[in-house]
Amino acid sequence: MQMADLIDANPNLLLMLQHFNIDFRVSDQTVMQLCENQGISENLFVSIANLYNGFGTKGHQPFSSEDMLQVIEFLKSSHNYYRWDKYPQISSYIRQLQESHSGKELKLLEKFFNEYFTEVLDHLDYEDNVAFPYFITLLDSEKSEVESEVYSSKEYSDHHTDIELKLQDLKNLLLKYVKIEGDLDLRRKLFFALYELEYDLYIHSLIEESILIPSGISIEREQNV
Amino acid sequence: MYKSPLHIVIMESSKIIYEGLQAIICQSELYCRASRIETLDELSGMLETTKIDILIANQLQFVNREKEIKKIRKAYPSLSVAGIDFGIMQKQPVLTDISFTLYDSAEHIIHTLEKLERKNQSPAQQKNESDNLTKRELEVLTGLVNGMLNKEIADALNISIHTVVRHRKNITVKTGIRSQSGLTIYAISKKIVEIEDIEI
Repeated sequence: MQMADLIDANPNLLLMLQHFNIDFRVSDQTVMQLCENQGISENLFVSIANLYNGFGTKGHQPFSSEDMLQVIEFLKSSHNYYRWDKYPQISSYIRQLQESHSGKELKLLEKFFNEYFTEVLDHLDYEDNVAFPYFITLLDSEKSEVESEVYSSKEYSDHHTDIELKLQDLKNLLLKYVKIEGDLDLRRKLFFALYELEYDLYIHSLIEESILIPSGISIEREQNV
Repeated sequence: MYKSPLHIVIMESSKIIYEGLQAIICQSELYCRASRIETLDELSGMLETTKIDILIANQLQFVNREKEIKKIRKAYPSLSVAGIDFGIMQKQPVLTDISFTLYDSAEHIIHTLEKLERKNQSPAQQKNESDNLTKRELEVLTGLVNGMLNKEIADALNISIHTVVRHRKNITVKTGIRSQSGLTIYAISKKIVEIEDIEI
């Protein structure tokens, strides 16, 4: 299967390529060739592509330490996409809306978003500075020298839900409740940005839940024996 | 609002029983039309072309055909089934929603059918009025928006914290909004609280 055909069928895979730091000009490479050239295991690449295409990963495939390090790089890259691209974009749309419509509702909505954005940034920093280094130490250490009281894989999974729930709130407020006259262009752009963000956040947490955390837990188990 | 009549189908091979039931139904205040079929095979055919709200069935017709009934019920979830209980069969709660016997009074039978009708309508109505909060929920919401804690709301309304939590859950289900700051914007959009009351 050629990568270009896969992208044609689901353009969201471009986002995946970006998170893997792969150039979009994939020529006529097959998935296998692409993986080989990029030094990514096919197993990992296909598992993540499946998530983007709406399939679960097949069972618990064993991922190597090398795979896991790449997963972490992938997740870090998607953090940057949220941090520097998607959230600022949404923020600027809301700002523009707020400036061209009077009424305090939009002011409140902007405040809601800004507070939410701050929370998201905190969370991203937390993952980058605490969670990922923990996983990297776990992968590096052959012997059990990890301070597992400080942190554990399970703890990690409790952190996400809040981010997705507030995004849901924002969408519902805009779809159902907050009255804004006209400005359909800007509002459509805002909605598309929100849905794009939601989609990638969803895949992001799937990767964490179905690949990163299970692998982390199995390494923890091995080391505790 | 226009409401179409309930379509009640009676599946009964005895003319006496069918006509008796039909008379009871037609003389009642139920807004409905009744038609008759004799066998289960006719039912499948009819369902393909016509909407049926309630099926009144002689449960003897279900004997050895449980699988078919279950299949029909799955395919047409809005169909309610009332069984005529001849007192000779054990109850089959999976196959019927409700049952009555041939010796029940006309009022009882109608009452039973009305219950089924209400059961049918409630999901749609709930959806329509999804964010119609009750008076109590509005009070809890107002408390939340004003930054009160669960305990403070409970004390102010003289209810338990447990009840406050339950109201909060219902508010979230009805509005689709979970966070406190999101609910504040909701409350202002719906004019439940005055925007002047809120500090920006």
